Amino acid sequence: MGSVVALLAFFVGAGGKQVFGLGLMRGLGWQLLGTLAGGFFVELLRALLPEMEPFGKFGFSEPGWVFGALVGTISFLAGVGALSDWFKWAKGEPASEHHHDPAGWQKYFGVSLDHKVIGVQYTFTSLFLLSYGGSFALLFRTELAKSGMQFLDLNVYNTLMGLHGMVMIVSILLGIAGVINYLVPLMLGAQDMAFPRINAFSFWIAVPAAVLLLSSMALGGFDTGWTGYPPLGLRAPVGVQMFYTGVWVAGWSSILGAVNLIVTVLRLRAKGMTAFRMPIFVWAAVAMAIIQFSATQMIGLAFQLVIFERIAGMPFFDPNLGGNPILFQHLFWFYSHPVVYVFILPGLGVISELLPVFLRKPLFGYKWIAMSSLAIALVGFLVWAHHMFASGMNEYLRVPFMYSTLLVAVPTGVKFFSWVATIWRGKIPRNMPTPLLFVFAGIFVFLLGGLSGPPNATVSTDLHLTDTYFIVGHFHDTMFGGYVFPFFAALYYWFPKAFGKKLDEKLGKIHFWLMTPAFIFLTLGMMRIGLLGMRRRIADYDPALGFDIWHLLLTVAAFMIATSVLIFFINVYKTLKNGESATGNVWNSRSPEWQVPSPMPSYNYERPFEVVGEPYDYGLDDSPYVKM
Amino acid sequence: MEHKSSGNLLLQGVNIFILLAVLTALEFAIAVTSASLLLLVLTALIKAGLVLWYYMHVGVLARDDEGEEHDHESYAFKTETNRIGFWLFLLSDAFLFAGLLTTRFNLMGLTRLPLNQTLGLLVTVVLLVSSFFMNRAEVQMARGDQPAFRRNVIITIALGLAFLAGVLGVEWRLAAAEGVIASASAQDAVFYMMTGMHAFHVLTGVLFLWIVLRNADKGLYNAEKHWPVEAATVYWHFIDLIWIFFYPALYLIGKLV
Repeated sequence: MGSVVALLAFFVGAGGKQVFGLGLMRGLGWQLLGTLAGGFFVELLRALLPEMEPFGKFGFSEPGWVFGALVGTISFLAGVGALSDWFKWAKGEPASEHHHDPAGWQKYFGVSLDHKVIGVQYTFTSLFLLSYGGSFALLFRTELAKSGMQFLDLNVYNTLMGLHGMVMIVSILLGIAGVINYLVPLMLGAQDMAFPRINAFSFWIAVPAAVLLLSSMALGGFDTGWTGYPPLGLRAPVGVQMFYTGVWVAGWSSILGAVNLIVTVLRLRAKGMTAFRMPIFVWAAVAMAIIQFSATQMIGLAFQLVIFERIAGMPFFDPNLGGNPILFQHLFWFYSHPVVYVFILPGLGVISELLPVFLRKPLFGYKWIAMSSLAIALVGFLVWAHHMFASGMNEYLRVPFMYSTLLVAVPTGVKFFSWVATIWRGKIPRNMPTPLLFVFAGIFVFLLGGLSGPPNATVSTDLHLTDTYFIVGHFHDTMFGGYVFPFFAALYYWFPKAFGKKLDEKLGKIHFWLMTPAFIFLTLGMMRIGLLGMRRRIADYDPALGFDIWHLLLTVAAFMIATSVLIFFINVYKTLKNGESATGNVWNSRSPEWQVPSPMPSYNYERPFEVVGEPYDYGLDDSPYVKM
Repeated sequence: MEHKSSGNLLLQGVNIFILLAVLTALEFAIAVTSASLLLLVLTALIKAGLVLWYYMHVGVLARDDEGEEHDHESYAFKTETNRIGFWLFLLSDAFLFAGLLTTRFNLMGLTRLPLNQTLGLLVTVVLLVSSFFMNRAEVQMARGDQPAFRRNVIITIALGLAFLAGVLGVEWRLAAAEGVIASASAQDAVFYMMTGMHAFHVLTGVLFLWIVLRNADKGLYNAEKHWPVEAATVYWHFIDLIWIFFYPALYLIGKLV
């Protein structure tokens, strides 16, 4: 609620009347009304029913807030116009798939069926949430810079900690959806995704989900961390319900987006594009989608069960009444472990995609990389309980899950060897372009994350490391190496494709050289104090541990990373305003989307192209990939 | 489609229905006599296979569709695309129900609640018969017999509503009277969660059928072009498919505590 008001205030300041005509604003207004309508409806029922008290500490009662959240979400979608065509279909009226978007920036703030517009919408929403989640981290890192409590109270600290996790997760999900939405149809030679309306729906449902997540702050927050485990999740204030419903709603964005992607790849490939002639990024996207469309249901179920336990007293996780809190963890991690592969697979795909372009060499072991993505996705389904070695689950489960987890290193190793072999004797450009820098940093940081993984997967060491900063350091290395660095590489690389302008190289390099050393220091420092016994998630620590100076340095590093991202935003703003025009094949790529001028029209290609060769034959003469 | 072959399809629907009915009776007999877990699971799997293959035509997905590849705007190409997407969505939804089954076996093991087995059989039969009529409706649409389609869809909707009334109106009340109360124990709560989630899908299925029926009345579908009818049919059988597993899991498998 607070963030809705803040957002509204921001847009009032930004543009007045013009802004309120936008679909986004209409949607948010409807969401507010829908939430109120749903809430008051429940309160009315509660007033009429015996043994129930209407209203609670935070205005509505808890069922009122949950029902209001759902009605608000649907109202948002109806208000923004994402449901209009389906309403028409239900009434038996014709609805065209070919819309005309308004020219200029307005098209990004309303429903568009063009996958390129949706890709940009996803990406910018992701960056918006990235800054939100990042500033939460800055707040609690500042608190941690010194032992003792400075300026946050415990509940606010816990809420910021939990929200940092989940807001970042949603941001990453939207970020990869953005890059994939933009690129996959272009790489396949399709006019659009297979289901443009569902594509728009998948994006727009993520917006009310984000509003719900952030609104948890205004409803008492929650002190469960990002996992929301019961019994903590059962005792937390109403805010945790907004957290659960927000994630549940965001899950639909994942599921429908993933289905859409798989069907697009199965059905809409250009002539001659056999499975092993697809760009490697498409393979990574498909592997990711397989996890997303199936496993997401499990976290949805886990959160639904807690929601019902809270509002209807159904004691699924209450051991006193025959429930089992460990069950929640199994359902939760059945999604939440595979989902880290959702985060990294597209990023690793970007690395494999860009290396050959810049080093002018064929990608080493194309088929192995394609298959390793699928292998990571499938093995990823069998490893979830390694998060629960210390949870009190059945002990005989530990060893099989340890081995299955270590097995993930095999397909991941395949990727590393392929990258090393591709770099081997490649022509590394003298003045490395920014995307290549981010690719190299991605490989290095992901290696750090990968090497710090097996100690956590091995039961004997994990029992020592679990719930320490070592885990936090490991996790951030995998996320930055597998997602953040490749994501920025992709943004620098494909920005000219999307906007016909090239991001400033000088600012790009400042961004890179500020972010990378600071980040590597941050995670290695976290691992160090973690090994020495620094517990994760806690708001305060004993000064006698001697970690004060380390925490101070980590906080400084965090602020350096934030500054670098700020420089990136400045770069984007400056480039969009008066950047150097770049409409041609900026990076001398073989990929079809670079063979036509940027930015591309709404129908993508003038004529369908044909695939006639291998995608990554860089440096080889006479071996074309596509015939335009 | 020729009339002869669609006549065969109608006959096939009858045969499969009889087979399913016999298996359901067999299942019930196993449950009240030996309660063999292996046999119950086996029967459920055979029933599911029959529904998937003959009522949901899962084989259509593997069909070679050469010839429609060239025109991406053609109805045939779009229908095939829609079909794959819709099945993937159902597969995703199946994970939700698989999660519920996991929850049930995690919390209850091989025990069951004191539910009325006869009533369970009764609502199962209602759903099974509705699937039979749904199958007829689809075949009649493919024959171009709109009045017969209409008749069969209306019967299906009526049976779907009867199922909802049976589960939510009668069964929930009786169960509560037997002491199965949602807030009393996790085991009881699982029963309400599973039947409730399934009932929610039945409700959406009824709405889907109602919309398709209205649109059919407006003459939007014909013997060749009726993808929404197919989708609604597959969805309805999917609901039946879920119940094929939920019914033994809730009413038949395990000992009374």
